[in-house]
Parts: sequence; C-alpha cells; structure tokens
Amino acid sequence: MVGAQNRESREGDHRRGLDDVTGMRKRSAARGRLAAAALLAAGVLLLTACGGGGGGQAGGAGGGSETGGGGDVIKIGADFNLTGSVSSLDVPAFRGAQLAAEEVNAKGGVLGKKIQLISYDGKSDPATVANITTQMIENDKVVAITGFTDTDSALAAGPIAQAAGIPFLTTGATSPKLPDQVGDFMFLVPFGDNVQAAAMAEFAYKELHAKTAYLLLNNGYEYTHLLAQYFKDRFTQLAGPNSILLEDTYEASDTDYSAQIAKFKALPQKPDFLFISAYPDEVGSVVKQFREAGVTLPILGGDGYDTPLLTQVAGEKADEVYFSTHSYMDPQNGTPAIKAFMEAYKKKYGDYPENAFAAMGYDSVNLLVDAIQRANSTDPKAIRDALAQTKGFQAISGEITYPEGKRVPQKAVTIIHVVKGKLTLAKQWVPEVVPAP
Amino acid sequence: MTLAELWVQQLLNAVSIGSMYALLAIGLAMVFGILRLINFAHGDLLMVGAYVLIYAVAAGIPFWVAFLLSVAAAALLGVLMERLAYRPVRGQHEVVLLLTSFGVTMLLENSAILAFSPRTRPFPLPEALSGVYHVGHVVMSGIDLAALASALVLLVGLNLVVTRTKLGVSMRAAAEDLTAAHLVGIHLDRVVLAAFAIGSALAGVAGLLWAAKSGRVEPLMGFTPVLKAFVATVIGGLGSIGGAVLGGYLLGLAEVALQAVLPPGLTGYRDGFVFILLILVLLVRPHGLLGKAEGDRV
Amino acid sequence: MIERWQARVRAMSLLAGLALLALALLGLQYGASTYVQRVAVDIGIMIILTVSLNLSNGYTGVFSLGHTGFMALGAYGSALLTMTPQVKALNLPDLPAWLAHVHLGFLPALVLVGLAAAAVALAVGYPILRLTGPYVAVATLGFLVIVHIVIINAQAYTRGARTFLGLAPLTNLWWVYGAVVVTIYTAWRIVNSPIGRAMLAVREDPVAARGAGVDILRARLWSFAVSAFFTAVAGALWAHFILAFSASSFWFAVTFEVIVMLIVGGLGSISGSVAATVALSILSEVLRNAERGVTLFGYHTPALYGLSQIVFALVFIAFIVYRPQGLFGDREFSLWPILARWYPPLREAVMAGRQLAE
Repeated sequence: MVGAQNRESREGDHRRGLDDVTGMRKRSAARGRLAAAALLAAGVLLLTACGGGGGGQAGGAGGGSETGGGGDVIKIGADFNLTGSVSSLDVPAFRGAQLAAEEVNAKGGVLGKKIQLISYDGKSDPATVANITTQMIENDKVVAITGFTDTDSALAAGPIAQAAGIPFLTTGATSPKLPDQVGDFMFLVPFGDNVQAAAMAEFAYKELHAKTAYLLLNNGYEYTHLLAQYFKDRFTQLAGPNSILLEDTYEASDTDYSAQIAKFKALPQKPDFLFISAYPDEVGSVVKQFREAGVTLPILGGDGYDTPLLTQVAGEKADEVYFSTHSYMDPQNGTPAIKAFMEAYKKKYGDYPENAFAAMGYDSVNLLVDAIQRANSTDPKAIRDALAQTKGFQAISGEITYPEGKRVPQKAVTIIHVVKGKLTLAKQWVPEVVPAP
Repeated sequence: MTLAELWVQQLLNAVSIGSMYALLAIGLAMVFGILRLINFAHGDLLMVGAYVLIYAVAAGIPFWVAFLLSVAAAALLGVLMERLAYRPVRGQHEVVLLLTSFGVTMLLENSAILAFSPRTRPFPLPEALSGVYHVGHVVMSGIDLAALASALVLLVGLNLVVTRTKLGVSMRAAAEDLTAAHLVGIHLDRVVLAAFAIGSALAGVAGLLWAAKSGRVEPLMGFTPVLKAFVATVIGGLGSIGGAVLGGYLLGLAEVALQAVLPPGLTGYRDGFVFILLILVLLVRPHGLLGKAEGDRV
Repeated sequence: MIERWQARVRAMSLLAGLALLALALLGLQYGASTYVQRVAVDIGIMIILTVSLNLSNGYTGVFSLGHTGFMALGAYGSALLTMTPQVKALNLPDLPAWLAHVHLGFLPALVLVGLAAAAVALAVGYPILRLTGPYVAVATLGFLVIVHIVIINAQAYTRGARTFLGLAPLTNLWWVYGAVVVTIYTAWRIVNSPIGRAMLAVREDPVAARGAGVDILRARLWSFAVSAFFTAVAGALWAHFILAFSASSFWFAVTFEVIVMLIVGGLGSISGSVAATVALSILSEVLRNAERGVTLFGYHTPALYGLSQIVFALVFIAFIVYRPQGLFGDREFSLWPILARWYPPLREAVMAGRQLAE
C-alpha cells in the first residue's frame, strides 16, 4: 500500500532543501487520517486473530466460570513482572509458585485434575500488567490469580480481577490497604506492613528497652514509605512524640550512604537504635556502610531484609540487625517443611531462595489449591468464599488465617536476630496495637 | 565527632564518590570528543563487566585475575559496540548517534535479563578490600580507598597516554578537528577504536568499584551510573577529558553537600537540585566548564 | 476545476476516514474481547504520544527527551481535577483546600491539563530551546528527571512514591480515538500552516531560516507547547484508563517506547507515526504472547521473557542504521497515486495540475 511512496522517499535525504520539502508537503498534504483508519482496521483484524488464538471468544467473559476447570486441568493465573524494574523481586516469587505447582501435580493435583499456571510477563509496566490480567481471565479462563510483589502492579491488576469476579491473591504486596482499595476478591498472603512495623516498634521498646530511634528510609517505594510511617506511628505512641531523633532519606538509585551516615554521627544525642526502611536490593550495603563507619547500635528493619544479600554483602557486619519477617527460613534449623522447600528450590534453581518472596509465591499457589480443595469446585466465587474462610493454613511463611470479614491474614511476626553472620530466631511477636491501615 | 572531623569526613566521602563518577565520565567524554556520540550504553559496559567477574570468580578464578578479565571484557564490548552499531552511523547528526546508543542499551539490558536472569546477585568482594581504616573519628572503607587510588593511577596514566604517545596525540587531534586530522594522515578507525577500548576499560574499573560499593549485580545496574556520568560530562564540558574529571568530582561534592545541608523535608529533592544545576550550566556555558565552543560544528 | 476536484476528494476521504474509524470502533466495542479493546485503547494513546512528539521532535529539529514529564503532568493533574472530594479526602488528605474541593468533568479536565502543560512547556522551553543539537536533548532529559523527583517528593499532591489511585474509569475507545482525531487534525493543520512551514524551515536549516526572517525560538516554542498539550492529554487519558500508577510509570521505558515509534515512522511524517505505532504495538503484543513459548510443528519453544523487548531494540537499531528517515521519511501517506492509477481522468487532471504548477 505504501510501497510506492517508500521507493520515492528513499532517495530523499532528510536534509532536503527547504523549498522542495514544503512544496512536496503541499502536494501530498496529509491524508494521514485515512491511512490511520485503514491501518487501524487492519491492525484490529490482525489482533483479533491473534488474541482469539488462545480461545478467547468475544463477550462471554463473565458467564463461563466453569470453563476454567472444565477440561482436565485447572488454570491458575501467575501474574508477575518477569522483566523490568520489579523483576528482581517477582522472579523469585514466580519460581516459588512454579515449584509449588509442580509439587501439587506430582501428588496428583487437586479435585482429580492437574493445575496449570498461566503466566505472561507484565514487564514492570502497568499497562501491560492490566492487559495480561485481562488476557488470562478472558482468553485462558483462569479460575484464580496470584501474583505481584509491588502495590503498583497489584492495583493495576486487582480491579480487573475484581470486576470479572476472579479471586486475586497477592503474593508479596504488603500494603494493608489493598483489600479495601480493590474489593472482596482481593487477598494478601503476607501480613500487612502495619503489623510488622508495629511488632518491631513494640519489640524495640519492650525487649531492647529502647527509648529513642533514628529513622532512615528509601524515598523511592510505597513499601519503604508505609513501613517507616507505621513504625513511626507505633513507636512515638510508645516512647513519646520526640523519640525519633532524626529522620533522613536516601534515593532508590543511591549506592553510597556516607552523607547520611555522617549526618547521623553528628547527632548531639545518640539514639538507642536505628530503624532503616530499606528495599531488598540494598539492605546489605546500607547495613555494611553504617557498620564500617563504626555504628554498632542495633539496626532494625522489615521483611525487605529477608534476603541472603544481607549476610552475603555485610557478612558479620550484619550482626545486631533485627528484622521482622514471615517465618524463620533456615536450611538447617527451620521446620521440616521449610527445610524441604529450601532444598527443593535449590535443587530446581541452583540456589537457595533469593528473598522472602520465593516462599510467598510457593505459599500462594498452595493456598489457592487448598481453597479449591475446600470449595470442592472450580467456580471462582466458591474459591473466593473458601479463601475467605481460611483458618490455620500451614504455609511456609507462617500460619494463615483470614479473620472474619478481613482479607489480610492474621499472622504472628517472626523477628530475626543476626548473630555472627547467621540468622537466629529472636521472637515470635503479635503486636498489641496495630496502626490503622 | 567534632565539626572539623565531620567536614573532613564529608569531603572524603565526596572525593571517593567523585572518583567513581570521574572514571565513568572519562569514557563518555573521550568518545564524544571524537565522534560527538553521547554513548548511553556506557553503563551497560560496567554491568557486563560485573557479570563477567561474578562468573569468573564462581568458576574458581582468583579475584585479581577475574578483575583483569572483567575489565578486558568491558573494553572488548565497547569495541564491538563501536564496530557493529556506531560505525554505520558515524558522522550523522548527534541526535541520531544518541538514539542509536538508546537502542544498544535496550538490546544489552534485555539480553542480560534473558541471559543472566533479573535476580540480584551479591558482589564477591575480596578480603583485601573489605577493611575499614580510622583516623580519629574519620573513617574510610577499603572500597573508598580503592576508588581514590585507582582514579589517581588511571588519571595519571591516561594523561601520559594522551600527551606522550602517538596514539594519544592522534586522539586529541581527532577531537580537535576530525577532517584536519584525517588530512594529516591519522587513521581515524584506529583512533576511534582506541578511544572506545580505553574508555570502556575505565568504565569496567568504575563498574567494579560501583558494584563493590553497592554489593550487588543485576541487569539494570548500569542505568544510574551512566546518568551520573552523563551529568558529570555535561557539567565539565562534553568532549573534554579534563572537564569530565572535574565534573565527576564536582558532582560528588554537590551530592554530598546537598545531602548534608538540606533540611529533612527537602533531602528527597537532592537530585532535582543537581539537575537544575546541570540545566543552569548548559544555559550559561553550553559547552560546560572546560569545554570549548566549537563554532561551525554545532 | 482541479482544485475543486481535489477539495471534493479531500472532503470525501476525510468523511470516509471518519466513517471507517467509527465503524472500526463500533466493531471493537461490540465485537471484540475486552483484551482487544484494551490494546486498541493503548494503541490510540500511543498514537497521540507519538504524533505529538513528532510535532516537536520531527518538525523543528529540537529533540526532546522530556516529553514523558508532560505525560506525567497530564496524568496527575487530570486526576486531581476529576476525582471527587470524598475520594481525595481518603487518598490525599493533605491536599490544599482549593484543590480538594475541585470536581470537574473529563473534557474540561483534559483541556485544562493540556493548557497547563503547554504553559509549563513555554516556561521551560523559553530558556532551553535556545540550545542546539544534543544539548537540547540533555536539558529536556534534565526536565524529565526533575519532574520525576518532584512527583516522588510532592506527597500531598501525588502520594509520593506510593501508588496513586482513586480515579474513575472515564477513558474509553471513543474518548481516545476522539482525541486521536483531534491530535492528528491539529498536527496536520499546523504542519500545513505558515507556522508549520516556519518550523520545518528551522529544522532543515536554522541559519537560512533565520536569514529568511523566521523567528526560530518562536517557532520552536510553538511546536513544543502544542506538543506538550497533546502529550498531557494522552497522559490524562492513560491515567483514567490504567487507574493506578506511580512516578515510575513515567520514566525512561515509556520515553524510549515513544521514541522508537517516532523514529520507525519517520521524523516529520504524521501518517508514518500512526502507521509505526499501530504496527509496532501489534508486533509487540504478538511477540509478548510468543515469548511465553510457542508450539511449532510439535516442538515447544522455551519461554524467553524479554525477547519482545530485544526484537524491539533490534528493529529500532536496524531502522536507525539502515533507514534513518523511517518508514515514510518526512512524506505523508497519500491516496493520490493510488486513485490516479485506478481512475485515468484523475491522473490526467493531476498531470495537468503539475504542469500548471511548473
């Protein structure tokens, strides 16, 4: 269609003379609208053809709830960002989910059927995330979806699942506000950030007898902001409004924290401990740089610290770090289930889990399978109802119970203490007061 | 900690960050000087270098040998980039060159995600660099010292190469005036290749320091350093090696100073102030602090 | 005679184009799955972004890397205007009172953020657009970084790094393609106006243009502002479509994506921008589905996530190296040659017209 034009313009250097260009433009004055319409129509046809390839009949998305379990497999959506900026967190979660699906199928599946994980790559881009979520619901007819470790993606995907009446179980987004923001089909596998932050504040105040704190946070993420905010809420409630001596931030792109450290060291009054709300990628180097600067006070943090990078990067400099997480993941001292998971993961992927999200991905699929089992149906609504009634589900990342009417699990917070470069269990903590989401 | 110690500490911090920025910026400046190419893919050289080091160390190769391998790999990749992507567009408008390097970045980062998986890996820091040194309350880590020392050695070495060797003189001549350099018999391809090799090797060293400092390696790690190097080069003067070094240290100083003096509510805006500074420099001295106006070439 | 002929055909093709578009949209609305509808909306928004970037980058030779900043402005700005006071009180409790009570319809919000972006473009452009070559690119990149940092820190307005939410799903196919038509029409009118010719003159040869009495800065500022207007509108449409986003949604990934479409389509060709956007968006959707692994002749390829971006990058490099003028160069898709081939009287008329012109 445009071939004839192209051949003409190939000779046309884009530094053509002024008269020539304007003259030509006048002549062939843009009839781009028509071209646009024609190309669009062609494009739509093509797209419908490819989109329909997966069996996506137009229209009947809402009604055909039985189709997902209708064949000899039950399809579950595994919605993750496998490339792009969030992929370092999502890939371990996805791997955990795949491992769980394999194990379930090796044991014969559920309701006599195998499960099949349907995955596309969200590319850390909200528009793509929304598209793939639509695709797995509409074309693949998944009966439930699990996925994502960040609120951006969970909030781009959740409402689509909600509107379609498909339960969405987020693997690692820890914002306790999510279920209320999305609706009654949205569930969390992890506890909310308010719970873990409150646990750490209470632990510091009551167990470490700390009265003053220094607060540092990564300025670039919802998770680091929420965690810091909830910690501050609970700690100032306990120790008084002036108990945070200094609040500072660093950027997500920083690798050097020496300016923050120097500012900390210049404080006239030393705090009793540091609370550093960090993202998994940098925990090791933040802790290490503080220790190298001679800061030996306890450093406290959230489940972002639950990554081997902490001890791999900081080594014994990570001593006197306390962090809250979902369970005590130790290949030697963990529960049998944890040990088995760690070894299976290592066997399949060559390394122990990269961060806490691997276990959460594993738990997500197992929890969904458990809900399908209890619902004794593959109807999404029935699965949702079964999920909501989950009580005492034994997950790798702790016992999961959804309290009546709530979709954030009630879980005890595990507090880990680093001793001689090794993780040890400090405490299981259920906070007395939890800041409102 | 006394006030004087605090100042000394902050100054040392600034100089050690600045050293890293300077090493990164030199490669950008050398290439821009000759080809007028802002090589956005410069950051991916250090990413690839860091992965080579990880795999080499994992394969049991001693750290210092792996280090040399990694720097060589960065240099090789730089040369390959030039041959495959930049040579075909050589001499075109600066924006076309810049866009080509965007394409190379997209290609390398996504290939790295596919090849190495996006998970974050720890950097295998050798014992020799993990020490900490105290003078009074002033502290320097082994990596900071290594950054300072390698910047010093490499800058002196580079200065010798550029001023004392035939290659260096050719490079400066080519940066001064490409056509004239060609007329007096300078082999342009060789000069460009040398600029890419040297600049990329320096990026390789800076990349390892960067990875050592942050403790981690992942496919998208090149983005922040190249942005910093980019700012440093522009402030110092695009195309001027001395300017790149100056720009690198100034950037380090500006970052540390802003972090130190901004009130808590405003520290988040630190990088914003840095970029406002960048735009101001561009408006007042479009060719940077040490760059020369080039008349007809713009 | 010939002019009347041309005018008539032009009007008819315009009507036919609009009718075809309306038909396609009706088809999409009632015959296509939600997924295909979503992709069509994505493509429409990308068309607006690419065409408006072309207005600035393609026609004046000012290469902006900062347009994503205007997109962000449109997204956040329009959201603050259309959200109900109740939703704002819930999600943005620290909003100043005057903004907390504003509640506008979608159309006024779109126009307002467009105007705001144009004003920002004028203010930012006034100093920056005096620069040349790579320095403009660097300065506009600086603008994008600054916008990003402001979004992350202006927590009262943007929720900072946290996800922004609470928007009503106002964007649909009709809004988007309505905006596409307006954007393309405006761009076409500008390109064919005295200002447009001044802009082109500036791109082709700034020195000669200045000699011929063209106010370079004015021409650049104009195109930059109009381009910012539509980029912001696209941002607003995107925001009311995706409904949850944060500062990182307006960063380098989307910047690169639009630039790729612009270059592949051809700097200075509106129809090229449209064609490249449609073609590349569909290609990337197809690749994204294929990278999960496809079964060909009984052999199942392994999943290679990231492959679609790699192919995208290769296409881009290939175009820059082998066809820097893009698909269409700076020409426009034209029906004349096709019509003329099928209908001899027309060909003769065109020939006669050409002779007359010469």
